[in-house]
Amino acid sequence: MLLALLMCYAGFTALCLSTDRHHGELLHSRPTPRRRLGLRVAGWLLLTVSIWPAVAIAGWGQGLVEWCAVLMLSALLLVLLLPYRPRLALILAGVGLLASPVAAFATL
Amino acid sequence: MKEGFRQAMAWLHTWAGLIFGWLLFAIFLTGTLSYFKDEISHWMQPEVQARPLDDARSLTVAQTYLQQVAPTAARWFITLPDSRDPGLSVMWQDKVDPGKRGNFIQKTLDPVTGQAVQARESMGGEFFYRFHFQLQMPHPWGRWLSTIAAMVMFIALITGIITHKKIFKDFFTFRPRKGQRSWLDGHNAVGVLVLPFHLMITYSSLVIFMSMVMPAPILASYGNDTRAFFSEVFPNTNNAPASGQPGTLLPLVPMYEQARAQWAGGHVGRVAVNNPGDMNASVNVLRAGSDSVVHDFGSTVSFNGSTGELLRVSGGQSLPAAIGGSFYGLHMGHFAGPVLRWLYFICGLAGTAMIGTGLVIWLGKRQLKHLKSNVMPFELRLVEVLNIASMSGLMIAIAAFFWANRLLPVTFAERSGWEVQTFFIAWGLSLLHAILRRGRQGWVEQLSVGALLFIAIPLLNALTTSHHLGVSLATGDWAMAGFDLTSLASGIFLGWAAWKMQHRTVPAPKVERTRGLTLKQEAN
Amino acid sequence: MKSKTSLPVSYRLAVTSRVLAAVVGGYLMASLASICLALWLPTSRADAVITGMMSSFVFYLLAVLWCFACRSAARAWFGVLLPSAAFATLAGVGLWMTRV
Repeated sequence: MLLALLMCYAGFTALCLSTDRHHGELLHSRPTPRRRLGLRVAGWLLLTVSIWPAVAIAGWGQGLVEWCAVLMLSALLLVLLLPYRPRLALILAGVGLLASPVAAFATL
Repeated sequence: MKEGFRQAMAWLHTWAGLIFGWLLFAIFLTGTLSYFKDEISHWMQPEVQARPLDDARSLTVAQTYLQQVAPTAARWFITLPDSRDPGLSVMWQDKVDPGKRGNFIQKTLDPVTGQAVQARESMGGEFFYRFHFQLQMPHPWGRWLSTIAAMVMFIALITGIITHKKIFKDFFTFRPRKGQRSWLDGHNAVGVLVLPFHLMITYSSLVIFMSMVMPAPILASYGNDTRAFFSEVFPNTNNAPASGQPGTLLPLVPMYEQARAQWAGGHVGRVAVNNPGDMNASVNVLRAGSDSVVHDFGSTVSFNGSTGELLRVSGGQSLPAAIGGSFYGLHMGHFAGPVLRWLYFICGLAGTAMIGTGLVIWLGKRQLKHLKSNVMPFELRLVEVLNIASMSGLMIAIAAFFWANRLLPVTFAERSGWEVQTFFIAWGLSLLHAILRRGRQGWVEQLSVGALLFIAIPLLNALTTSHHLGVSLATGDWAMAGFDLTSLASGIFLGWAAWKMQHRTVPAPKVERTRGLTLKQEAN
Repeated sequence: MKSKTSLPVSYRLAVTSRVLAAVVGGYLMASLASICLALWLPTSRADAVITGMMSSFVFYLLAVLWCFACRSAARAWFGVLLPSAAFATLAGVGLWMTRV
């Protein structure tokens, strides 16, 4: 579940950065169209692919439930962090991405 | 309603949400607590000792006990202990009255000694679970009312989605410290981000009671013979009648093992024995709900009790039954391990927060108009009082329930009943208090009382039992320690909410005073 | 659209009528729709009943939404009772066929 969580959180952060408003708030610049597209694709990709570790570990029934739970909670966490600790929100996503190979290695 | 579709839906959302909001808040909060039903019971009955799990021993112990105490009963039910609930529960029914429910006798046994457990009398987490769908009302009414509330919730959810114009644009938006704006952001955020959970929990609650609230198709297809429907859906209820000749029941353990072999090692939740003292005794071994997400009521292996012959293994579920079963399983979350259980809990709190913020928004919007005159019309005052009593008052009532558990003497007559009484007395007092005090003071005082009660729970536990945090953390009793720590955290959050409301710098936007509430529920 | 004291009686009556149409009429329509499903679905009898019961709440939801979205209270009743009549006819035919 940890790997799915990290991937979902990073995915939502990418999707969040792909909007003009949040990109401006977090990085103080407007994203270029290419960057926006890249972030959007990466975000959706991460969210979709995160089904795989959840299902691979727990099977379809339980795995899908865990994936949904993790999906909702990671988005909630991100949205609550953004106004209070925007830098922490970004750092967490970065750390999450870096840690996900380790998590993958440890769990799969 | 000459305005557009969206306005009409917003109107429906507003009024349906307001009228059922207070009830739904209580249903959601107690339902959320029910995810930790067994853990709460463990805290409230610290005398029940956890033993290493051994199904065969538990089953033998239960059978010996029932043979002695209720050899002529019509039915036995044996619920095996699991990692969350350490008690071995046996229940029997003296004689079957088709028209009547009840005449069941239930005892919790120690799975090693076979003696009835001597614990303080308490409903434990079961109280929240029962209240969540029966609302402390006589038999069918509470269930009806809570199912109606669920239907209103379903309508409110769908109209909320229709009303919310910018779901994707505002997906990540939460702007704190902006008064009414923040409340709406918070309401949208917990609503949209946790939407799959809300939809699942609401629709499944309708599905759970569907044969009660929507009996028309059963009547149309089966006429007056509704039993035929249930025995077609649940074949394990269709057992041989008693023959009248006495017989001896074989040991249950070999049947238990055969059943597990049928399920490729799946777990047994419950064993039901019909007519245990009869030639025609039948034994149904039911599978544990924690085995799969899709709950299967009918997953049973049946035996003849006096010959041990395997009578029937229930087949797979049909698609509609599986869909219904997965609604049930998802709602209950029996399959969830500790991490997923906490996620369920957080989702439940998000739902509670969504309802709470909605109620606050309703009042805030309308209060703004009456700020200058400083006189509130009666209906706004009523909503304010009910808001205070249903939210902070409920917190106080829950805390009072836990306090009563520790303070009422163990030998007190009707002890568990009085625990429940304390809950409602505390709730009633907070309603009275909300009527007497003006809005802001009402909130601050009730939140402070709630905070004190919750923060003191670990202390109270340490003073009245030998299971304080030092012990429970050291021995790895996570349910006990988790309860104390969660109470502490809830108390701190309630205190923070009270402080936040007391120290509002701008008195103008009255709504903002209560903003701590959003987060308060997340803490509880 | 708030029901304040200044609102005319006709408006209040219209809202009451809509609420009744939604609650009572909606339940009637949902029940009849689920009966139709239970009688007409080509699965086993018990499965058809389960499907009917499970999906009835969606019909209820649609009826309620219609009752508050349409332009007048009369339309609300009309929009709920017309499908109810249709479902009732279908259910009647279904019942007659099972009897024969």
